[in-house]
This record gives sequence, C-alpha cells and structure tokens, in this order.
Amino acid sequence: MTTWEGLLFGIGFVTQPEVLVYCFLGVVLGTFVGVLPGIGAMAAISLLLPITYYVTPEAALIMLAGVYYGAQYGGAVSSILLRLPGTPQSAVTTLDGYPMAQNGRAGVALFTAMVSSFTGSVIGIVVLVLLAGWLSRAATAFGAADYAAMMILGLVAASTIGTARPAKGFAMVTLGLLLGCVGTDVNSGAQRFTFGQTELLDGINLVALAMGMFGVAEVIANVRNPARQGVMEKIGLKRLMPRRDDLRRMALPTLRGGALGSFFGALPGTGSTLSSFLSYSMERRIARQPERFGTGAVEGVAGPEAANNSAAITAFAPTLTLGIPGDPIMALMLGALVIHGIQPGPMMLEARPEMFWGLVASFGIGNLLLLVLNLPLIGIWVAMLRIPFNYLYPAILVFLCLGVYSVRGLTFDIVAVAGIGLAGYLLALARFSPALLLLGFVLGPLIETNLRRAFLISRGDPMVFLERPIAAGFVIATVALLLLPLWQAWRRRARASD
Amino acid sequence: MTAGARAPAIWKVAIAGNIVSVETGEVEEIPVKIQMTRRAVLACTAAFTAVPAFGQDTWPTEPLRVFVGFPAGSSPDTLARIVTDQLAQRLGQPVVIENRPGAGGVIGVQQMLVSAGDGHTFGTTINGPLTTAQRMMDSTGYDVETDIAPVTLIATSPLVLAVSADSDIADLDAFIAAAAADEEAIAYGSVGQGSGAHLTAELFATEAGVSMLHVPFTSYAEVTTSILGGEIDAGFMAPSAALPFVQAGTMRMLGITSAAPFAQAPDVPVLAGNAGLPDDFRAELWNAFIAPAGTDPDVIARLNTEITDIVADAAVQEQLLAIGWQGAPGTPEDLRERIVTDTAMWGDVIDRVQAQQ
Amino acid sequence: MQRDWADICGGLALAAIGAGAAGWAAVHYDMGALRRMGPGAFPVVLGSTLFLLGLFVALPAFARTDTAPKFEAKAALGVLGAILIFALGLPWLGLAGATATAVLVATLPAPRQGWVWRIVLAVAVTALTLLVFNLGLRMTLPVWPRMP
Repeated sequence: MTTWEGLLFGIGFVTQPEVLVYCFLGVVLGTFVGVLPGIGAMAAISLLLPITYYVTPEAALIMLAGVYYGAQYGGAVSSILLRLPGTPQSAVTTLDGYPMAQNGRAGVALFTAMVSSFTGSVIGIVVLVLLAGWLSRAATAFGAADYAAMMILGLVAASTIGTARPAKGFAMVTLGLLLGCVGTDVNSGAQRFTFGQTELLDGINLVALAMGMFGVAEVIANVRNPARQGVMEKIGLKRLMPRRDDLRRMALPTLRGGALGSFFGALPGTGSTLSSFLSYSMERRIARQPERFGTGAVEGVAGPEAANNSAAITAFAPTLTLGIPGDPIMALMLGALVIHGIQPGPMMLEARPEMFWGLVASFGIGNLLLLVLNLPLIGIWVAMLRIPFNYLYPAILVFLCLGVYSVRGLTFDIVAVAGIGLAGYLLALARFSPALLLLGFVLGPLIETNLRRAFLISRGDPMVFLERPIAAGFVIATVALLLLPLWQAWRRRARASD
Repeated sequence: MTAGARAPAIWKVAIAGNIVSVETGEVEEIPVKIQMTRRAVLACTAAFTAVPAFGQDTWPTEPLRVFVGFPAGSSPDTLARIVTDQLAQRLGQPVVIENRPGAGGVIGVQQMLVSAGDGHTFGTTINGPLTTAQRMMDSTGYDVETDIAPVTLIATSPLVLAVSADSDIADLDAFIAAAAADEEAIAYGSVGQGSGAHLTAELFATEAGVSMLHVPFTSYAEVTTSILGGEIDAGFMAPSAALPFVQAGTMRMLGITSAAPFAQAPDVPVLAGNAGLPDDFRAELWNAFIAPAGTDPDVIARLNTEITDIVADAAVQEQLLAIGWQGAPGTPEDLRERIVTDTAMWGDVIDRVQAQQ
Repeated sequence: MQRDWADICGGLALAAIGAGAAGWAAVHYDMGALRRMGPGAFPVVLGSTLFLLGLFVALPAFARTDTAPKFEAKAALGVLGAILIFALGLPWLGLAGATATAVLVATLPAPRQGWVWRIVLAVAVTALTLLVFNLGLRMTLPVWPRMP
C-alpha cells in the first residue's frame, strides 16, 4: 500500500459510522478523564480494556488511542484553570497557563492550548505518515549512552525555567532526581530509601507526586485567600477570544513545539515530557522579553502544548512499526491487541496495514472532533472559575485522591499525597518550582539506569559518550549550553570595557 | 448466629487490618502442638477462620475477587482474564479482577492477603512472589508456606535464548564457545535484577561453565531494542516477546529452557542435553491460582476442579499459547511441591549471583 | 521587610535533606566502580549536590530582604486531615462515607460560616463522586460503610 492509498483507505475506514462512534467515545472520555485531576489516560484505558473485548481490534485501538490523546487536551484544562496537572507534560502548561487564568485570561489560555494541541497533532500526523519507518529506526539506533546524554541535555536546558534564581531551579531538579532514586534499583535490585515499605518498591507514585506538589499545595494556599472567595465578575465573550496579538505570538511557538515533539515523541520513554519542557525553555530563550514567561505568556502555553500532542502521535511510530511500546500506556494498548489475537511486532504493519492507516486517519478525525468539541466548551470551563473556591476545593480534594487511588488501588498512595502536599505547600511558600521537581523525578531513573547501563555495556569506558555520534552530539550541545551564559557574560564585560 | 460463628468475624478483622500470618492470630486459641504439620494447620485454620456461614452447596454467595499483581493488559493479567472469564460462567458469579501492580507481583499477593477472610478473595500470580521474592526483598510481609493456600498451577512459560539476526553466533554451541572466550565476552539483557530472565541466564551460565555480563532492563521491549541496536549480544526472553522479531527475520532463537519443545516455536532446540548442558536442565516461569491460607478446603477443591477443567479446554489452551503460556494444571499438592523445589533451585542461583557481587 | 526567610529556610532544609540522603546512601548502599556503579553512587552524588545547592540558596539570602510568606496552618490542617481521613476511611466507611467525611473536614478552614452549606456540599460532592467514579468509571470500591 502506498502512502496515498493507505491514507485513502484509512479515511474510508474511519468514516464508517461505527468506527466514528468509537473514535468519538474515545476522545470524549479522554477529555473527561483528562480534566479530572489524577485520573489519566492510563487509568481510563485500564478501565476500558474489558469493553474492548467486544469490538473489532481496529475500533478498540482507535477508541483507546482517542482516550490517550484526548486526555492530553483535558489535562491542559485542569492545568490552566486549577493548576492541577495530571501528568508531567501538562505541568509545563501550568507555568504560564495558570497565571493567564489568574489574570482573567483563562479563555485565551484554553483557546491557545486547544489550537496549539490541534496544530501539534497535525504536525505529528504528517511526520508519522511520512517518516514512520525512519522514526522507528531512530528509536533502535539510540543506545543507553545516547539516551543518558540526551536526557542530561534536557535537564540542563530546562532547569532554569519557572524560577527567578537558577540555584533554586537546579536545587528542585536535584531534589526530583533524588526522589526518583526511591524504590528498587534496576541495576542492582537494591531497595533504596524504601524503609521496609513494599508500596515504595516501584518508587513514589508519579501521580501522587504531581497531585501533592501541585493540587494539594495550591488548595492549601487558596482556602483562605480572600481573592478566591467572591464570585468573579462575569467574563464577557470578548475576553474569551484571543486578540490578534495573541494569535501572532502563538503561531511560531506552536510550529516549533510541534516539530520538536514529533521528533522526541518517537523515542521510547519520556519523549512527551522532555519535548514539552524543552519547547518551553527554547521559547523562553529565544523570546525578546523572556521576563514575561511565568506571568502569563501565550508562547509558554502554545509551544509545550503543541509539543506534547505531536509527541503523543509520533509515539505510535515505534509501537506500530516495531511492536515496541514507548511507554506503559502504549504497552497497554498493545496488550489490547494481543487479546484480539494480533501479535504486535515488526510484521504487524505488513500483515494488517488497515490497522496502521485506520489509526492514522482516526488521529486526524479524532483531533478535529476534539477541537470542535472543546472550543465551545471553553465558555463552560471558564464559568467554572466563577464557582467560589469554598465549594470547589473539597470536590477537587476528593477527586484527586480517587485519581491517585485509581493508578494502582492502594490507599498508601493517598496517604502519600497528604505528605507530599505538605512538602509541596512549604516549597511553594519558599517559591521553589514544583514543575522542575517533577521533571527531575521523571528523568532521574531513566538517566541513572541508562548511564549505568552505558558504562556496563562499554565495560567501564567513558569514551562511549564521545565515540557514539548521537551521544557525542548531545554532550557537545550540553557543554555549549552550560558555557553560553559564561560567554555572554564575558562578551558583555568586553563590550562594557570598550 | 451462634457464638462459634461469631468468633471468626474477629479473625477476619484482624486479618483484614494488616498483613499478619493467620497463625499468629491463632496461637492464643489453638494449642501450639497442633501446628505440627502444615496440613493440620490448614485444616484447623479452615475450621476456625473460613467463614462457616456458607456451605459447599451455596458457595459462591457473592462475586469473587481475584488479585493480579500486574497491570491491566499485561501477560499475567490477560491470562487471569482468560481463566476467570470461564470461571465466572461455571460458578454463576461474576469474577472481578483487581489489578494491584508492583514489586514484581508481590503487591498483588499482599493485597489479596489484606482482603482475605471472606472466602471469596483469591489471586493469580507468577512464580516470583512465591519463590524468589523472599530472597530478593527485605521483606515481603507474608510467608508463602503459612499464608498462601495453593489452588492450582495454571500455565508455564519457558524462556528462549535470542540473539540478533545480524549476530555471528549461529547456534548454541557457537554461543557457548563465544561466551567461554572471555569472562564478559557476551552481554545479555534481562528484565531486572533477580527476574526470571536474569536467574535463568545465570543458571544457564553455571551449567554451561561460562560467565556473562548481565545488563538489567525493565521490559522485554527495552531488551529487544538493545539487541536489535547491537548494544547487547543476547537475551533470555519470553517466547511471545521474541517470536514476532524472529518471524520478521531480525532475531534468532538459539534454544529454549523447557524440557520439551514449545508448541509456539517447535523447531527451537531445547537447551537440556544440548551443547554440554545437563539433561534435566529446565527453567520455566509459571502462573498459579492461589488462595489465602484458611480458605475452606472444599472451596479450594472446587476451584481446582473448575480451573483444571477450564485449562484443559482446547480453545483456552490456544488463547494461552497466543500470549506465551502453556496450560499446565495440577493438584494443589503439585503446586505446593513446585513452589518448594523452585524456591530451592532459584535460591541456589541467587546465592551464586549475590556471591559474585 | 525582613530577612529573606523563604530562601534561608528552604535552602537549609534542602541542604539537610541532601546531606541526610547522601549520608544514608553512603552508609547503606554500595558505591561500586565506574564500570559497575552500585546503588549508592547516584544518591550520594545527588545528595551532596543538593546539599551544596541548598547552601548556595540559603547563604546569600542572609544578606537579602524579602517579604516573609505566611504559613496557613488552619488550611493545611483541614486539607491534609481531609485527605488522611479519606485514605484511612476508604476501606471502612466506603466511598460514600469517606467522601462525605472528608468534605466536611476539608471545609473546616473555609472562611464562610455556618453548617448548612457544609452539609449540602458534602451530600452534593458525595453524589457527584458516586456518579463519576462508581457509575461512570466503574471503579471497584465498597460504596457504603461496612456493617460491623
């Protein structure tokens, strides 16, 4: 099947009423669970899995995929309105989306997130269609040393975002990395910082960490905040819509974010998280007024949202062409196929091309549905902000507890939310950035295992980081990034002395 | 309700509150000497703690809960769903799968024990939590011998020794020769320190008289990527993880750890008796249906009969094979024996691995 | 205006966490070598780095002034108490009981006086929770309090 034939076939397939219904169900459910704090795509897909036994494998996959990328849209809503990111990638969206909402520009922030998400997805789909094979080869070409070098670059690039003082940013990343050490060490099997708690053997629950650091901390800070008690004045339709200035500002970051995300998404692991953080830090670096970031810059919402959505699409490249799932959610979807007797693997694309093309076409239709569905909802979401906080926060607390519980059904994790929430509140009081902590936490275990694996495989030879071209490229970029401020300072001084 | 029927309710609360051995709760009531044999303990436990309110003819009176220590969609989860789907039909009660993933399946077993005491709580688990976990972890919080009542083995899965299709290593003899050339000439991937894949590889190395470099990963997907990318030389993998790549011509299987050829890959030679390995070489993962100790022996017998029947069905066999499991049901005693022999076998391997570090 | 207590306390706390983690890891976990790094290597390096960064945040702050943040003790107690009650109560009170109790506790620090709205809110949130999680998402949880 050529690309063109495939696409035509896919579109024909998806426009069958039955398939369309499953696609619609998937994206609606995805948006819904994405908005609910803590309940992510993972939990929703696990809950849906038994239902998929009764539909065709293509319809099942299309529905589950709809949940997956629909949840990204929904996640942006709760990040912007309530500062409740369910995933690390939507944590980036809180950095400027939430300040926008506080400034009465929630509608614009939501509009930006949705349009950028849609554009990012379209970029992801185009890249997936044209370069699926190439992306998959890139995924296998990446070795342990390359991953380690890439993620270290990501950390260094991102660790100054969301904070006024670089030392505080680095401290949060380091604390996140340290928290990532909790649990069973992959390389040695040693149980680190678990203090006899079996529940900690797989590490701290990511959702519990995100909910505690952001949600609980935010609720505590606002319970007695007088600004949140009264009914906010009604926001006119005019303020919901972006100004021409906003549209101009979001255009390029969206395109850049989409491109960035479509590359990193194909790399198994944390492509989505890494690309949204990288997009944010890139936008801030090239912005003419970087000080606007963190106070409600449209670019800070547009770039990362485009990046994480395009990454969510290209993440299917290795999953579909190699049968190698990039993250637990992909693994879950492949598991759904296995139930239908389809063996995921390198042969799947040849054996069942309708699967690939049907899914790709469903991405297009699904994202269009999401846009059409969500744009009119913006008014309703914004109206939610007019509910006095007194009535809102108890429900938020209960929902986020259940969201955390849904991950693996342990009340231990809810107790952990309370502890993490207190720590998160204290950190917020001292003006430390929780987003960076989350980034360190997500990347930490990956950096550690890949670094150690690289040394193990190279039999202890550090040259592996310079001999492998991919790793060497990232190492050079990291060094350049670290030296850049020094060079700029030197040049400024040189100019001043002239 | 009689006083006799009331007492167990207290036990139930104690058991549900935290993970305690059923026996520790019993010591006050039952003379210690009764605990001579496991069988006697089980019988007494059943008499005192299994909810006596229901008789054999009325059980099950409510939906069954089956704890699985792996996430929805994983291979152990799919296996559990295949079996419990049929079980629900046969028992006339729904069976709810409770996924409690974590710690290599140990959390699932723990959570089953936390919820124990209602006579409707069970679990399926792979071998790890019943055989090697006690040695690999500081504390699992349960004692396999006294807290778990075996119901039946469901299925077994061998592992295959796989290399990249681009590799120079053509067969098992060549592999052992290459590994013998130098202590760490061959780097192999596993799904974690102490995982079945790791221990199997170390058992293989010991029996073959070689030594290889162990590179731990977290999933077969990662191991596959690394083998295909040429970073590591080999891996002991689940057949279902390796087969798609073998069919695509990017991987080669050199041997299989089961005693007899595996139905899904019949032309892959067994390791046993090959290339200087002993004839009784066998290393399999398995999956079993278990109950908390103290479950009514009649209930266990009923479940054993039903599950043995289900797994014997050809359609179910085929479903299991598709996800890499070969049906292998037996009696509760068989499972108990398998736990004991495997615990001893892997214990030796763990001793050697830990001595190396 | 007074000393920049936020950075001083935050920095020192992080330094303490870093030192503690590094110390614990150094004592309990093997460091290994570059070729085969042990489980202790990363925590020791990260803990030491955090210790230094914490000092780096705290020490310059002694020379600075800033507004001190206000710790909302009542709000923290109410919110964290509600979460703990929800967590520990879930197995006994069921989803409905735990939700209602948690909502009541959570509203304690709210500035609005009176009990009627608190009870109405508890009932409303409980109903919503049951609707979404029990009927909608079909989470397997006991709904009603367990009878003794």
